[in-house]
Amino acid sequence: MLKRMLRSRLALTLAIGALSGAVAAGALAQSGGKTTSYIGKLEGPEVVTDPAKAPKTFKEAPQLAELVKAGKLPPVAERIGQDPLVIKPLKEIGKYGGTWRAGFTGPADFWNGFRCCSGPDHLMFWDYTGDKALPNLARGLEMQDGGRAWLVHLRRGMKWSDGKPFTADDFVFWFEDIYRNKDLVPTPTAAMAINGEQGTIEKVDTYTVRFKFSAPYYMLPDVLAGSTDLAGQWGAYRGMGGFAPAHYLKQFHPKYVSEAELDKKVKGAKYDSWVRMFHARNDWALNPDLPVLSAWKTVTPINTATWTLERNPYSVFVDTAGNQLPYIDRVVLTLAENLEVLNLRAVAGEYDYASRHIDLGKLPVFLENQQKGNYKVYLDPGDYCDLIIKFNLNYDADPEIAKWFNTADFRRALSLGIDRDQINETFWLGTGTPGSVVPTDSNKYNPGPQYRKLWATLDIKKANEMLDKIGLAKKDPEGYRLRSDGKGRLRIEIMTLGGQFVQYTQISEMIRGQWKKIGIDLQVQEVERSLAIKRASANEQQLAAWNNDGSEHLFTFPTHVFPFAIDDVATSGPLYAKWFRSAGAQGKEPEPRMKELMEKWKKAFGVPEKERIQLGKDIWKIAAEEVFIIGVVGQGPAAMGVRVVKNNMGNIPSRMYNSPDGKTPGISRPATFYWKN
Amino acid sequence: MLAYIGRRAVLAIFTVWAISVLSFAIIQLPPGDYVTSYIAQMASMGSVVSDEEAANLRIQYGLGQPIYVQYLKWMRLVVVGNFGMSMEWRRPVTEVIGERLSLTIVVSVAALLLTWVLALPIGIYSAVRQYSVGDYLATFVGFIGLAVPNFLLALVILYFGFVLFNAHIGGLFSPEWQDAPWSLGRVWDLLKHLPIPALILGLAGTAQQIRIMRANLLDELRKPYVVTARSKGLAEARVIVKYPVRVALNPFASTIGYTLPYIVSGSIIVSLVLGLPTVGPLLLKALIAQDMFLAGTIVLLLGVMTVIGTLISDILLVWIDPRIRLEDT
Repeated sequence: MLKRMLRSRLALTLAIGALSGAVAAGALAQSGGKTTSYIGKLEGPEVVTDPAKAPKTFKEAPQLAELVKAGKLPPVAERIGQDPLVIKPLKEIGKYGGTWRAGFTGPADFWNGFRCCSGPDHLMFWDYTGDKALPNLARGLEMQDGGRAWLVHLRRGMKWSDGKPFTADDFVFWFEDIYRNKDLVPTPTAAMAINGEQGTIEKVDTYTVRFKFSAPYYMLPDVLAGSTDLAGQWGAYRGMGGFAPAHYLKQFHPKYVSEAELDKKVKGAKYDSWVRMFHARNDWALNPDLPVLSAWKTVTPINTATWTLERNPYSVFVDTAGNQLPYIDRVVLTLAENLEVLNLRAVAGEYDYASRHIDLGKLPVFLENQQKGNYKVYLDPGDYCDLIIKFNLNYDADPEIAKWFNTADFRRALSLGIDRDQINETFWLGTGTPGSVVPTDSNKYNPGPQYRKLWATLDIKKANEMLDKIGLAKKDPEGYRLRSDGKGRLRIEIMTLGGQFVQYTQISEMIRGQWKKIGIDLQVQEVERSLAIKRASANEQQLAAWNNDGSEHLFTFPTHVFPFAIDDVATSGPLYAKWFRSAGAQGKEPEPRMKELMEKWKKAFGVPEKERIQLGKDIWKIAAEEVFIIGVVGQGPAAMGVRVVKNNMGNIPSRMYNSPDGKTPGISRPATFYWKN
Repeated sequence: MLAYIGRRAVLAIFTVWAISVLSFAIIQLPPGDYVTSYIAQMASMGSVVSDEEAANLRIQYGLGQPIYVQYLKWMRLVVVGNFGMSMEWRRPVTEVIGERLSLTIVVSVAALLLTWVLALPIGIYSAVRQYSVGDYLATFVGFIGLAVPNFLLALVILYFGFVLFNAHIGGLFSPEWQDAPWSLGRVWDLLKHLPIPALILGLAGTAQQIRIMRANLLDELRKPYVVTARSKGLAEARVIVKYPVRVALNPFASTIGYTLPYIVSGSIIVSLVLGLPTVGPLLLKALIAQDMFLAGTIVLLLGVMTVIGTLISDILLVWIDPRIRLEDT
């Protein structure tokens, strides 16, 4: 029996689901179901870090050349500066021109544009394998004082999109006037701290900045490369980023303008405080006037029907032949009021390149219409688990259930009771990999192939034996196990959310059927998402289904590895999270193995990479051995991994690294994509 | 008469105030707040909102304050015509709604006109030619129109539009006209996109109005004054149109009360399915995102429209139907 807590949008989702499901089933029968053949070889453009190999002369888009000729723009070499950021396109040097059409779902979908069009504008960024952090906007990073200080070398002559120089002053302004302003940023970020102690930023000279910390912070290059609070202008709307255009933002800051003048500006723009106005003016997606460093810049903002981005004439990105990037002139994202419309538009070929919001369940329909829509479908499996089940280790409303959740063999037995192949075939159309929570084998933190299968195969006999042994041997006439306190059948609840990339509710229903064979009565509860967060943070959740995307970058994205966030849609222990975040002042001290895991994670930030990799492996070992979180099916294309690209778009990798940290497709440098004709 | 209208107007103001309190309260009812739904939204798109960011947002939006403080803050803005800043859209609420309002009115009025243009003649025909083939046909189509949920119809039409005619999916404009300034070409593009939403939105209403018209007219047609008119040799068309139809129109006037808010919001689900850039989907999104000021303003607007609509239909009824006028005095 499926108990639904809230029926918001239910009728609509059901009807749409039914329709697309029927269509998909029909199409799948035609396509023969061989979907893994759409997964290609991982490839991507490379960043040329050797300055000797950088091109010496530059070319630019025709319309910019016109502007230069008309005297409205300085010559291209002056705009790029002495140290271009050189990218070797995947296949060939491209051609200028054209528009890239895609869809977005509204003002909360700002990640959409950051992922495609920001460059990415991080100081450091990943190579195409997602493994190594390389210099990006920064020319280089230099470690000093055993990791306690880092020199960031900026590119000489590099400019903001309005032509003003990008210098160390932009870092100092960000640090002193934004980050340390208690109104703009009431709570500092963990990314700027090591062992809970905040670092500082200081200017060395025009093109050199120093990040200083009280203890070694070896992780800093990765933190600058990942999707963290120090990762470029995507965090700017909330006062993060590491740098900000000082020359532009000073006019909105009380330190630089009189109170009366600022008040006038705030009232004129109808904001209720200068803080909100400042954040809005500092928003990459919202304010077309904001100077940026990205390859494209917003020209019509995200809160209108079309979010348009145009090439940044001062872009520091160039290809190996000296062509200033991007190749494509404009990116036009049109507002889709709902995901079904967005998907149908993609099927109809109305988008040139789309992977965000594309539904794996509709894969057959996409395949069927490849020719008609003049596009090709690629699959980009993630390196993480697409479906995990979290045990709330802090659950205390029912002591019996709390006891079992904290019994390792109970968790392991439940994991052994899941038929992952059936789930993979049904919901991933066979494209996923069944297994535990550990990331893909090629991930540098993967502890070894044996951990993929550890406690993550189907073994009903063993599961039953384990459950019998821990004290759950008694069963009721229907074959379900009885509670040890004599209060009837042992019932556990799993909380799911509807309308996500992964069909959590339907999969949980399947697991409910599978667990019947090991005598476990699972109740599936689909809840509305705000309720999910409320219940998770109030410690009312038992099990929860989610995915652990991002966990392939264990240290910059730990939320789905151990209890890290307090407000979360699925928790494995809100009190542990509180304990961890408050350094032991609040919450509950974790059980020894969880504590060990947390300590290793924390320690990793302050040790050299080799040691950190070992710590990462240890963390995954503990996670797989203890099964705090059950891994079900992973390494599939469920989350943004179905990619629909026009046939005449060039430099498209056959497979790309799919990860929130890699800002996929940002990791494949969309600035090098181009129109062949 | 004036006193009657005056009394209604005073009542209307109180009703609007009560609606503002209620709408604000209703928006606060679901668990969580704008920040929790923001976290959830980010989570479902593969990113994470840190606890620090959540805390900062709550401070920024004043979500930690008691509800009555938030309500008073909002009301202070409302009385000066500023409905606050939408949390999700980060623009003044008036702008966000204003942009969509005109298109919503176009779609709804088109649907409404279609309803009346179809429903009145068919209703009259069905009543006058009761149990004829035409009546059965109208009844049959009408019941189907009533029974099929129009969002389902929208989905089916959307899909077949794509499969059979390769039509542009959803929305009111082709991509090339989306952001163009208003011109004849853009109006023509809008007119090309209008029939399908108008038809889908109008269909259920049409069926309903046909039934109402038919039933009312049938009641009237059997009354002695109609027989008298006929026996005196009045032309059949004149007999029907002059009196029974006029009386049967009463329900149309009284539906204006709920027609006005409908014109503003449109049908939410159909607009959502068809991807129409109207107020309906905006309201739904605002409610899901718990964007208090935006959702509150739309609900308030709908309330005000209902009140004004009811007032208008009261006055209209008095004007159309002399019997009401007499009873009142």
